[in-house]
Amino acid sequence: MTRNLILTLLLVAAVAAAAFGVAFVASGDRTLRVAARQGDALEWLRVEFSLDADRFAAVRRLHDEFSIECSVHCAAIIAARERSAPAAEIAALEDHCVGAMTAHFRQVAARMEAAQGERYLALVLPRIRGHTHQGAPSVRLAP
Amino acid sequence: MSFSPDPLPTLLASWRIQPPPDPGFRRGVRERLGAGVAGATWAAFARRRAPLVAGAFAVALIGGALGGYDHARARVDEDRARLASAYVAGLDARRMVPAR
Repeated sequence: MTRNLILTLLLVAAVAAAAFGVAFVASGDRTLRVAARQGDALEWLRVEFSLDADRFAAVRRLHDEFSIECSVHCAAIIAARERSAPAAEIAALEDHCVGAMTAHFRQVAARMEAAQGERYLALVLPRIRGHTHQGAPSVRLAP
Repeated sequence: MSFSPDPLPTLLASWRIQPPPDPGFRRGVRERLGAGVAGATWAAFARRRAPLVAGAFAVALIGGALGGYDHARARVDEDRARLASAYVAGLDARRMVPAR
């Protein structure tokens, strides 16, 4: 009796664990996981917003171009900070940076299908403020 | 010399046992037989409690599947948020500091 009861409980637990594992694997997004593990945000864009080869190439081109522009903004802001420029000047540079980022994100969204573009903007625009990172512009995540 | 007849055969022939009827006798026998079989194999144990065992397996299956689904979706959301934040932060010149 006790042996059978314990066996039953073990079998029930095994069924629960198996169901958990199958549902976890089936419901997950393996490509997204790989992109997150590799820190590849552009690959994430491709997968997340269902970009075909042409759209992805256009988005990548925009991204590369903006990375150069971003480096220029970055250098200007750092130079202003290092020479202790007036706060208004730094604020103006930062506002310019925000405007450029917003315009860039809208350009990227325009390369996507309409619904995906809206979803993209809803995801990235609220994140423009409040992040920190170091170094040159990159789409690689910190390890 | 005369022999009196042995009364025992007559007595035995007239002896009738009339125990009070036990309404649970058959069921008791079946239960004892069943308990013996159930103690022997898990299949018999489970058959005897089929509704309970089936219910436990059903709950485990559904509960496990729902748990796995929720966990997977939470991880997808977490990955998505992390990637989106990193993507935006990677293009935010305001947050950059000189590489040393």
